[in-house]
Amino acid sequence: MKYLELTVGAVLVYNFVLSRFLGICPFLGVSKRLSTAMGMSGAVIFVMTLASFITTLLYRNVLQFSFGGEKIDLIFLQVLVFILVIAALVQLIEIMLQKLSPVLYQALGIYLPLITTNCAVLGAATISANNGYTVMESTVFGFFSGVGFALALLLFASLRERLELATPPEAFKGTPIALVTAGILAMAFVGFSGLC
Amino acid sequence: MSKKDILTFDGGIHPVSDGKALSCNAPITAAPLLDKYRVLLSENVGKLPKPVVKAGDLVKKYQLIAEADGFVSANLHSPTSGKVTGIVDVPGPMGTLIPAIEIEADGQDEPCEPMPAIDWHKADVKELLKRTADAGLVGMGGAAFPTHVKLSPPPDKTIDTLILNGAECEPYLTADHRLMLEQPERVLEGAAISAKILNVKNVYIGVEANKIDAIEALGRRAAEFGIKVATLKVQYPQGSEKQLIMAITGRKVPTGGLPMDAGCVVQNVGTAAAMTDAVCRGIPLVERVTTITGEVVKNPGNWLLKIGTPVIKAIEFAGGVTAEPGKLILGGPMMGFAQKSFEVPVAKNTSGILLLPVELSMNYGSTGCIRCGRCVEGCPMNLIPCLLGNAVEAERFDLAAQNHVMDCLECGSCAYVCPAHRPLVQHMRRAKAEIRKRKK
Amino acid sequence: MNTVVLIAVVLMAVLGLALGVVIGWFAKLFRVETDSRVELVTELLPGANCGGCGKAGCSDFAKSVVAGENPPSKCPVSSSEQISAIAMALGIDAGESFQQRAVVCCGGDMEQTKRLLNYNGVLDCVSASLVAGGPKGCSYGCLGMGTCAHHCPFGAIEMINNLAVVHRELCVGCGNCVAACPRGVIKLVPADADVHIYCNSPAKGAAKKQVCNVPCIGCRKCAKFAPDKFTVNGFLAAVNYQAEAFPTAEDVSAVGCPTGALLTVEEHLKIEQNEPEWSAGKK
Repeated sequence: MKYLELTVGAVLVYNFVLSRFLGICPFLGVSKRLSTAMGMSGAVIFVMTLASFITTLLYRNVLQFSFGGEKIDLIFLQVLVFILVIAALVQLIEIMLQKLSPVLYQALGIYLPLITTNCAVLGAATISANNGYTVMESTVFGFFSGVGFALALLLFASLRERLELATPPEAFKGTPIALVTAGILAMAFVGFSGLC
Repeated sequence: MSKKDILTFDGGIHPVSDGKALSCNAPITAAPLLDKYRVLLSENVGKLPKPVVKAGDLVKKYQLIAEADGFVSANLHSPTSGKVTGIVDVPGPMGTLIPAIEIEADGQDEPCEPMPAIDWHKADVKELLKRTADAGLVGMGGAAFPTHVKLSPPPDKTIDTLILNGAECEPYLTADHRLMLEQPERVLEGAAISAKILNVKNVYIGVEANKIDAIEALGRRAAEFGIKVATLKVQYPQGSEKQLIMAITGRKVPTGGLPMDAGCVVQNVGTAAAMTDAVCRGIPLVERVTTITGEVVKNPGNWLLKIGTPVIKAIEFAGGVTAEPGKLILGGPMMGFAQKSFEVPVAKNTSGILLLPVELSMNYGSTGCIRCGRCVEGCPMNLIPCLLGNAVEAERFDLAAQNHVMDCLECGSCAYVCPAHRPLVQHMRRAKAEIRKRKK
Repeated sequence: MNTVVLIAVVLMAVLGLALGVVIGWFAKLFRVETDSRVELVTELLPGANCGGCGKAGCSDFAKSVVAGENPPSKCPVSSSEQISAIAMALGIDAGESFQQRAVVCCGGDMEQTKRLLNYNGVLDCVSASLVAGGPKGCSYGCLGMGTCAHHCPFGAIEMINNLAVVHRELCVGCGNCVAACPRGVIKLVPADADVHIYCNSPAKGAAKKQVCNVPCIGCRKCAKFAPDKFTVNGFLAAVNYQAEAFPTAEDVSAVGCPTGALLTVEEHLKIEQNEPEWSAGKK
């Protein structure tokens, strides 16, 4: 039951993009084409899952431990350690992508290294830590947070592909109408609140 | 007749006023002889035939004047007797200049020695096919595809059904209607000959339900030729090959495919009538029934016109005009081609000469798509015309291609029903042109 | 307290080292050879991504230059200084630079050419050419709806009185307009040619005269004046762009073209401006 709550909560109710408003930069930056949005979604899911797993592991076993009967608390290092781990993970993904899918690498461009500072990834890790999730819970939470991000990104990318064919007033063309659409999409997600 | 017996397809539209009343009661009249004919060389789809006469030659009526060049090409015969004055460039139906053989009539209209008549019951398929090619038969419904090519499908395709197209779904046109009503046996015999060439047993003739008199006339004689008359719902574009096959056999022609991929061959009733002439009387195709109509034509009617008759003369046969016409269209108002010259000659596929009044051809000015979906309901090919139109306006031809713009028939149903008056057909045609250009 | 600080420092150091080793190992495992020269050349190129070189964009062209498939001079937009800078950076030969400019071979604006059809469809040349071959009496001339101007990445084509004219100082000769025009009325010519025949119709002189006031009627006056500078093919004269010297403005006045199809670039630009017939929104 706990896992169901985690899943639904992460994907719909507390959707990272549309309810918590984290990770807006790639959400707006990589949503022009559905294909690149898919690639970005995959990368974010991967990073988020792995980051949540590793950070919780570190948080529970390295940042808090007993040393010769003395309880040592290194929680103040939390953000530092998390960022370090996330940055390293993103670097790994970048290296892999450049080799395995140069087209996607080109399309993602600057947004790939930006996952490092994607607050959604750090947010997932921090929320897991603060809520005291176990390693398993945290991994599930990380994965489904990524899925929630992917859902929002893919929905928005599909919308933007349609928006491209629309003829709004000149001043609304491009980003303005995209932001308006994102707002409406976020309002729709408010409907999920109270689900769990 | 119960409602169940009336066949149709999905989608399509029904134009409110079809304008057929203008000319559907006018019997077919033979046109008087003119002093000059200009026979277009582009009477068929495919390669242009090679002229075999030169300036100064004397020709008889029915004499061969241009020879088919290759398989997908058709012979051309002289519509009357007289002197060839040369090969001149005349405005063609598509707006470009096209070479035509100009013949000055001597007023005698003297035929040459006809080809021997063939008893088609006994003749073998090869002989009949050769006669079809010799007589220069092409599809008279609009596409002008050489008939002998259509009747010799590649051996890997099995054809089991021949459908005669008497739907005449285009508003205003009544030429096929009068032909079926006045000369049903010519149409039916031609169908039987085509069926023999194709070796098929299922032969249908599809007629829209607004031509009850023609259905009755055909019905009286159909059984003796082994042909079934199918009554079709009055729905545009019922006479489009793919829709006709769907309505009568329930089969779907695959994307990008031809009727033969669904085991069918579709032939216009006018072509069938010309087939009878060619086989039973040895007469090549040099004249056709054409509807000359429109609100501004004085006496709208159906005329037996010789090919090469300039449109301006044909309109004079019908008494000229009563008011300034707004648009001249060859064919019907939905799929016909607007003309910019009155000098265009009548061709083998000119089913109608339509003069629309100014108020029917004016521009409404289009607005943005309001996404009402009427075009989607109306599209007989189940496409999404509004999406395609928007894609073309944004120059996203890749998106248009993904959404099967190449399957569009250009029937005009979408543009007809669009409350925003969007020029959807023009967008489709542009998308097709751009996609073809890119493929090259 | 000191223990905690010590542990913290050691922890961060160990963590950093471990991750560094993993990344280093990965980088070795998934190594991709990149040529830094490609980026260099891309920076030196104009970055217009016009496609005039035949490649998908400037970075694609840079790749082909580094690979030796194309000389740097294949880029129509770059000036000769920019091209030699690229050639210097790579230490290769610049290749022969051949600057071209687009020219609209038609003088038939609203005033000069008859319109036979009351066209009221989409304002796009490709669409218009599909309706009875276009509304113009001449089926070879400029349709005047500005599809070329719309496709020009440099804003070098202006529609004056429903005729496309090229501003040579803006044109780089990328050829996008040539591809966009359904009539093929736009041609690429050497950049330093100042005089052109502004007619594209191979039809007979009399037929052209019926629909246009400024056609080339093939009278051969120009070819008789300077046979090396002009050629006449059928009923259409052309400037011989292979000749050593191009005709000049003096030549134009000396020839005295009877219809005014022979113009200098400046004269073509000065076509009188009138209210266009097909302006957007006008019914």
